[in-house]
Amino acid sequence: MWSRIISRLLTSLVVAWASVTATFLALHALPGRIQDILAGDVEYPGLREAIAAEWGLDQSLPMQYFEFLSRILRGDFGTSYVLRQPVIEVVGSQLLPTVELALTAGVLAIVIAGLIALLTAGRGRLSRELASFVELVFASTPVFWLGILLLMAFSFNLRWFPVSGAEGWSSLVLPAITLALPTAGLLTQVLREAMEKTLDQPFVTTVRSRGVGEFIIRWRHVLRHALLPAVTLGGWLIGGLLGGAVITEKVFGRPGLGTVTLGAVLTHDVPVVLTVVLLAAFIHVAASTVLDILYVLIDPRLRAQ
Amino acid sequence: MKKNNLLMGGVAIALLATSAANADDKPVSGGALRWGVTTEPACFDPHYASQQAAFFVARNYIDSLIAKKTDGTFAPWLATEWSISEDGKEYTYKLREDVVFHDGEKFDAAAVKANYDFVKKPENAVTAVSLLQAYDHAEVVSPYVIKLVLSTPDSSFLESTSNVKLGLISPKSLAKGDLCGGGRALAGTGPFVFENYTRGQSAVFARNVGYNWGPGNAAHSGPAYLDRVTFRFLPEYAVRTGALTSGQVDLIEGVQPTDAPLFAEQPGFKLLTGPSGASTSFTFNINYTRPPADDVRVRRALRDGFDLEPIVKQVYLGTVPRAWSIIGPANPAYNKALVGSWGNDIAGANKLLDEAGWTGRDSEGFRTKDGKRLSIEVGYPQPYVRDNRDILIQGVQAALRKNVGLDLNLRLITAGEYAKNNANGTWAIYPNTDNPSDPARELWDMLGSKGFLYSNIPNPDQEITSQIDESLRTTDPVRKRQLTDAIQKRGVDQAFIVPLFAPSWFLAAKSNVNGLGFEAGLDSPSSAYDFWIAKK
Amino acid sequence: MTAPSHRAFDTAVPLDVPEDLAGFETPHPSATIGGPRRVRLGLILSGVFVAFLIAASIAPSLFTHFDPLVGDFSEGLKPPGWAHLFGTDRLGRDVFARTVFGTRYSLLIGFGGVAVGLGAGIVLGIIAGQRNRILDEAVSRLFDMLSSFPGVLLAMLIVTFLGQGMLNIAIAVGIAGIPKFGRVVRAQTQLIRDADYVTQAAIYGLSRWQVFIRHVLPNVLVAIPIIATVYIGSTILIVSGLSFLGLGPQPPTPEWGVMLAESRDVLRVAWWPGVFPGLAITATVIAFSVIGNHLQQRFEGRLA
Repeated sequence: MWSRIISRLLTSLVVAWASVTATFLALHALPGRIQDILAGDVEYPGLREAIAAEWGLDQSLPMQYFEFLSRILRGDFGTSYVLRQPVIEVVGSQLLPTVELALTAGVLAIVIAGLIALLTAGRGRLSRELASFVELVFASTPVFWLGILLLMAFSFNLRWFPVSGAEGWSSLVLPAITLALPTAGLLTQVLREAMEKTLDQPFVTTVRSRGVGEFIIRWRHVLRHALLPAVTLGGWLIGGLLGGAVITEKVFGRPGLGTVTLGAVLTHDVPVVLTVVLLAAFIHVAASTVLDILYVLIDPRLRAQ
Repeated sequence: MKKNNLLMGGVAIALLATSAANADDKPVSGGALRWGVTTEPACFDPHYASQQAAFFVARNYIDSLIAKKTDGTFAPWLATEWSISEDGKEYTYKLREDVVFHDGEKFDAAAVKANYDFVKKPENAVTAVSLLQAYDHAEVVSPYVIKLVLSTPDSSFLESTSNVKLGLISPKSLAKGDLCGGGRALAGTGPFVFENYTRGQSAVFARNVGYNWGPGNAAHSGPAYLDRVTFRFLPEYAVRTGALTSGQVDLIEGVQPTDAPLFAEQPGFKLLTGPSGASTSFTFNINYTRPPADDVRVRRALRDGFDLEPIVKQVYLGTVPRAWSIIGPANPAYNKALVGSWGNDIAGANKLLDEAGWTGRDSEGFRTKDGKRLSIEVGYPQPYVRDNRDILIQGVQAALRKNVGLDLNLRLITAGEYAKNNANGTWAIYPNTDNPSDPARELWDMLGSKGFLYSNIPNPDQEITSQIDESLRTTDPVRKRQLTDAIQKRGVDQAFIVPLFAPSWFLAAKSNVNGLGFEAGLDSPSSAYDFWIAKK
Repeated sequence: MTAPSHRAFDTAVPLDVPEDLAGFETPHPSATIGGPRRVRLGLILSGVFVAFLIAASIAPSLFTHFDPLVGDFSEGLKPPGWAHLFGTDRLGRDVFARTVFGTRYSLLIGFGGVAVGLGAGIVLGIIAGQRNRILDEAVSRLFDMLSSFPGVLLAMLIVTFLGQGMLNIAIAVGIAGIPKFGRVVRAQTQLIRDADYVTQAAIYGLSRWQVFIRHVLPNVLVAIPIIATVYIGSTILIVSGLSFLGLGPQPPTPEWGVMLAESRDVLRVAWWPGVFPGLAITATVIAFSVIGNHLQQRFEGRLA
């Protein structure tokens, strides 16, 4: 078991290192001078010199690479020359609303998926068909369109929720639902299949024969087993939520990382976009590593190995 | 039960109405105002700002030497008196002696000199330097008397000293370098102190308690009524409207025309439009040296190939007038003779293009010459897009495509790309509303050989640039008027410029927000100095 | 019992490699609704819809006589009715015409993105699918690395480098999609490589290269159209998102994401410009998913 965990950790480190290396290589592979790429579209006296100094551009390529790696290890992501501010300050000041949104949406997606799977798995054909159709529709709906529809219904017509902002829980409701539903669509599908497989297993029949009620069986035994394969989707879930948050923020005019990233893309502010993308990759890798290790720890079959 | 409710409702409304009426009488101090605005200023330092929507924000913490009144004359502000020498080259201002910057520094003649010299210094690359073309140096006559000396007479200079772009910043702040990020580092003398700025979200200003030097054109004197003003940046129309209706903000700027009735008719809200007409119009500025627009026939076809009226009407739902001249209809320098003199001559426009040799057609129906499509790019810098102007341009684009087969290629570009095109003179059409200033200075900025737009094109039009230069030099108001009329006429006649509409600002507020208004010098909403919130 | 799979060709992906699940955007949910008869109904509907989409993208003017770019300025924001099936937008343009003409852009960028991702994915996947542990390991880690970036964000980074525009978002979405295509191709290659008839061919004295060219490659390539159909839906979803953010085609192009972005300004008074283009996206994605899943299952059946 331990060798498995250690090899998983090593793999993650390799992947994280590879992603940093890839961005470095991509920067250098691009046509044009690296100073110009990093400057975005601003131009002021002394700018090129400042970039050259910060990125050590007078050094050899391997030296620049090690410099880049060690800076990122120290948590130094450079300067946004467009915003004239250290990138980590720019990103840090916008992180909270985005994390709040992504987390709420993630929890919501899991709860929705769990409930629907619990209620529909192995039931009559009609309810399953209905459920899988709904899942398909949600997973096929663009996040931003869902947001527009919810805004129209609940903000403009019913006026239940405010349209914008990051103040208080009520401004979080619609964006979180928007982000959660497409995710929940897929999650339900996976969970329901896993539950159906589990329901066919002999131990369920055994439990059932002891006269345990159907709901208890599903809640206590089947769902727990079914959650295991779903855990492996954790990394995908987090990546999707972070990406989706960018678009959701735009729909609802919510401040956050998405707004900053989009602004940076439009002004060619490479240091900011690079940092956001790298951070997202780190979060993604870290989360899926933790979940995979948990998976190994929880699953008795793997633990025994 | 039901009846009762109705009755209660009626009483409540009546109560509300009377309390509002009472409250209207006497301003009260206190309260915080949340103001939802369209544009997040790219730079909070007024010397460097260039977005129209950045200036009324800056007015909250920045004062000027004098203030421009609605009638075009000037009121005292940080200067109590001023005089202009016979030859029009020396401007002397007597300053107030009780003014203190937000950082505690004393405001005096040396501080004024420091600001003007800072703006004039080429290395600082200050946007506001366009207002100081004629400025040579400043002399500190006594601690509270400053003499600004020009190299040539400049008929726009007095107005320039009222401009927020030449607003006064503490010399200590100026020494700090980049002030675009605002915050306490940016110390002015205004009625509010810049507390903090959160990118993408808000800027917060707190009352300057010791403020006792309000402009002579304000509704009151002494400190501002509001304890605190928070500007919240809400770039989406729907979000701004929703934020006001749900009570997340108290006031919004940039009301979508379709939403205007919501606030005008609903109790609990009010809608304000102003100023009564633009100082300058929203215009297409055409680079008349760059093919295919170097041919006056092409430019005139672009000008006349569409009916502007219904487009403006559809996009703004009748809330703003179409434009006839570069200068807006409410500006005293407006050339009325241009009304009805151009536009909507589709047959004529097609004839001009035929004559100019654009006789081919491509698969998409656009005119061609030697296999090249008749296409002119409108490069609109993203940070300046607001007020449905991109939609208006799309309307013109559609009409020109249909009527005359001209491809008006609207492209939203970055501020950086715009700067590069401008520096190289490679821009084609720039959608522009000039920052308000003296009419001669506006025309110079917009069309002059050293203005912000045409300074890097090869061989600018001799006639119009010399008229502009003369209008700035002359000290005779009659001659100046003749010249500004002639410049407007030539600009439109040669189709250097195609005026589109005279913009207005739309404010919507909760009905307990009072003292809202517009400032002539900014051609936009005023600062929050006179605003007050009625107690319920 | 053959359970509907949530991942394309998942029988070939070893289940104990959890990173493989962390794909780019979707493992898209299965589109099999109910039993065989139902499948057929959904399939027929989807097929008809896709046929319409293809017709609309080739000859949009067959479906509408309105100009998608030029409207009547006095007819702005008219609700849906007989004159304008989907109503008009604020410049008086017919929303139905714009939606129909928009098909072309969504399909073009979507298939462009799939082509880019699949092109690179085929090369890398086949390399990884050979009997060479080191190559396989290296390419698989490369896929892991690429898929550790959230797809939308990676695409945004690439757009930052390349600039906005239709071609560039197709490339961006394609690159972001390389790992999912590459993994599918790798699994497919391994599956065929290990199939009985291929192993036998080797026994009959064909060289490894000959076996690869004659038996493995054709069987891998045969799966390409199916893989493309399975993933076109999710690709269109991401493309529309990037367009919505303003990174793709520019107004007045009647692209669906662009139209939805424009609709927000008038949402309070007009629902129609904000509804129909979104319906078009969702219906397109569903139709392709249903067909893709059907093809995939038939294909798997034939292999087994």
